[in-house]
Amino acid sequence: MKRALPAYAAIAFAFLHLPLLVLAVFSVNSSRFTQWDGFSLRWYRAALADGNLLEAAANSLAIAIASTLLATVVGTLAAYGLHKRHVPWLSGSLYLSLVSPEIVTGVALLAFFQWAFRYLGAQLGLHTVILAHTAFSISYVVIVVLARLRSLDPSLEEAALDLGATEWRTFRRVVLPQLSPGIAAAALLAFTISFDDYVITSLVAGVDSETLPMVMYSAARRGASPVLNAISTVVVVALGGLILISERLRAA
Amino acid sequence: MRRRTLLAVSLGGACGRGGRRLNVFNWSDYVATDTIPGFERETGVRIRYGLYESAEEMLARVWSGNSGWDVAFPSNAFVPPMREAGLLAKLDRSRLTNLANLDPVFRRPPWDPELDHCLPYMWGSTGIVYQRSLAKPVTAWADLWDPALRGRVTMLDDPAEVFGACLKRIGASVNSTDASELARAREQAIAQKSVLRAYLNAEARDQLVAGDILAAQAWRITARQAIDAAPDRLAFVYPREGFPIYADCAVVLRESKRVELAHEFIDYLLRADVARTIAREMKTATCNAAAREAPDPVPNGGEWFLPMPAAAQRLRDRLWTEIKAA
Amino acid sequence: MRSRFSLFLAPAAAIQALLFAAPLIVVAGYSLLSRGAYGGVERPWTFENYARLLDPLYGAILWRSFVMAAAATALCVLLGFPLALFISRSGRRKNLYLQLVILPFWTSFLIRTYAWIFLLRDSGLFNSALLALGVIQEPLPLLYNSSAVLLGLVYGYLPFMVLPLYATLEKLDPALIEASADLGARPWRTLIRVILPLCRPGILAGAMLVFIPCLGAYLTPDLMGGGKTILIGNVVQNQFTTARDWPFGSALSLALMALAIVPLMLGVRRRGEALL
Repeated sequence: MKRALPAYAAIAFAFLHLPLLVLAVFSVNSSRFTQWDGFSLRWYRAALADGNLLEAAANSLAIAIASTLLATVVGTLAAYGLHKRHVPWLSGSLYLSLVSPEIVTGVALLAFFQWAFRYLGAQLGLHTVILAHTAFSISYVVIVVLARLRSLDPSLEEAALDLGATEWRTFRRVVLPQLSPGIAAAALLAFTISFDDYVITSLVAGVDSETLPMVMYSAARRGASPVLNAISTVVVVALGGLILISERLRAA
Repeated sequence: MRRRTLLAVSLGGACGRGGRRLNVFNWSDYVATDTIPGFERETGVRIRYGLYESAEEMLARVWSGNSGWDVAFPSNAFVPPMREAGLLAKLDRSRLTNLANLDPVFRRPPWDPELDHCLPYMWGSTGIVYQRSLAKPVTAWADLWDPALRGRVTMLDDPAEVFGACLKRIGASVNSTDASELARAREQAIAQKSVLRAYLNAEARDQLVAGDILAAQAWRITARQAIDAAPDRLAFVYPREGFPIYADCAVVLRESKRVELAHEFIDYLLRADVARTIAREMKTATCNAAAREAPDPVPNGGEWFLPMPAAAQRLRDRLWTEIKAA
Repeated sequence: MRSRFSLFLAPAAAIQALLFAAPLIVVAGYSLLSRGAYGGVERPWTFENYARLLDPLYGAILWRSFVMAAAATALCVLLGFPLALFISRSGRRKNLYLQLVILPFWTSFLIRTYAWIFLLRDSGLFNSALLALGVIQEPLPLLYNSSAVLLGLVYGYLPFMVLPLYATLEKLDPALIEASADLGARPWRTLIRVILPLCRPGILAGAMLVFIPCLGAYLTPDLMGGGKTILIGNVVQNQFTTARDWPFGSALSLALMALAIVPLMLGVRRRGEALL
């Protein structure tokens, strides 16, 4: 078993990484078919020339940034509150929204927005997508920040309180600085989740809110395409880089 | 060039609120490369051009009555239900100066004789695209059930079309509202799933050209585009049991706050030069007589899709769920 | 003290109420209404949608989704456990290996699903290689079937299993393993009798993180199953889009939710240690 385990692990890692590597390799293949025809960046150029694609990417970025900001602030505050005070219905609700199948939260949000909009005279659009992303990102932020909170040394906090600082002041001046790597990690997590979301986004998106995953999905339905390989490689490298940073921060 | 594009897109996105804009929701491949930019140049209006691959996809978005789209292109069978549901704005004929270009055949269509609410844009028909290399030539809908083609056959992801093919296969009309005929059609569709690769609309085109799909139920437009890309390998046939015909019509949605602009856009599409470019580049069958370079009559043996009465539509939608879920 | 922390909790509570609880209430309401002639939601109030759920057709789909999710979970445990074991025993390189697991996992799920489509399609890498080697004459239909969907699910959710398993293995007291070896058990026996039972919390945690998303999976069956709608997630999506039957879709999604929560309830009771 001593030898079998590393061998197995090698195969498992290959299984996990090879498909993405293949995508990357074929994104620089000059031919659109599976035979290697020479190195070429033409598919990347084609992707950059597609205005629709760029607009979708810009939308995805805007949505991810907005929802990450909101979710991180709300989530960090909530995590601190939950750390101090046992609120089973809020914890339960956050946990539920975390584990609910995406399709259920998606259709529920769609139904709710359309119902509400009949009285509000509004429409689906960027704002609904941002709201939806914020909603599901909060749970992730809470988990990461709460885990971090629980590993902190409580004595500093207690000292501050003993010295007469208010809860809010203690939180701001003592806890937050200690928490910042965890918060940063949570924010990066929320960002990648928001950027990658397809199911919920496609349901609550409006006229102005086509996102990168939505464009990629339509392209994937058409079958394989080297331009899609190129976009995929860029996204994987970008998100991968972000996650590596997040891991460094989390471990710090 | 890339940097300029990026800059333009982000600036354009930022300025979008200021300039006039129009949201148009259309089938993929229904305009030529320069159609939209041409309109934008002439009028200074920014067009947000959304695409859909199926009528159901469009209806799902538009049905809420506050989707944000101004112009859409439903098939003729859906125009009366949309009108009854109050989703369509009345067309102002005085704004459509190029109306004379419309083919006389489509001037008083049965689904909207006064052309009050819709304007026929492209007509189409459905048949089968297949690889010429097949041992047994494809001539009928029944051939799409052939076990020899297992896993390499696709049907359209469109309940009206799938029912159309199945109903024709059992010798009924594509517009059948008879419950027993529809039940038998459902049986056919479910039986076909064992050989079916997928339900794909225009998405099938690339896979046909690549040779992944051997035979596909396809709209004539998709077929012509696929054959154009691989003329020696692909062929199109109208099944001998019969086939449906339809017309996709331009409509202005009642929710639109830019009705004049919408009319301007539709009028632009009616122009002979614009329509001609679209028909030539995208191989579509236009309803615009002035645009045709060669006679392109509606084929014989075709049966027009008619609007479904509400009860029958409900039954068909339910059966479609059952087919998809089986 | 209590009221002061309310301010911290209020925004999250408000968002949960507005964007999680309220939508579910709307869905519950819709599930009791009827579909309009061509779509939309209107009165009369009825239980018809739930009655329709009893149709064996939908029971069959729910069952199929359940089996698929269970199979994916089981495969993830089988494939993930040795990997987690390897990482936990890797000494200095632990973090590196962990990152190697996390990396593909957090980058786009859609892309990773697409990567397998690219590999498995008729003109994809596998078929091209096999054809070139002369092993097969015609391309194999590797895509658009249940096995492809299962592969896609396992590939997508394997890291979800590896991480909790690793966390549990990390916390194992090495003294217990040494004791087992001292008492004469061979490594294999130690694994089965000592390590695995101690890892039960990790296995359960991972199983939950894999099973529930797989139960409601939508993207994988849609893209790799050929859009033939085999799982419950696809049927729900179908009702809210192309079929325009929101009341029935609402009933279906609540049924799916219930099905997902049940194993959760069983799991939570056993685990005791809260995530939140």
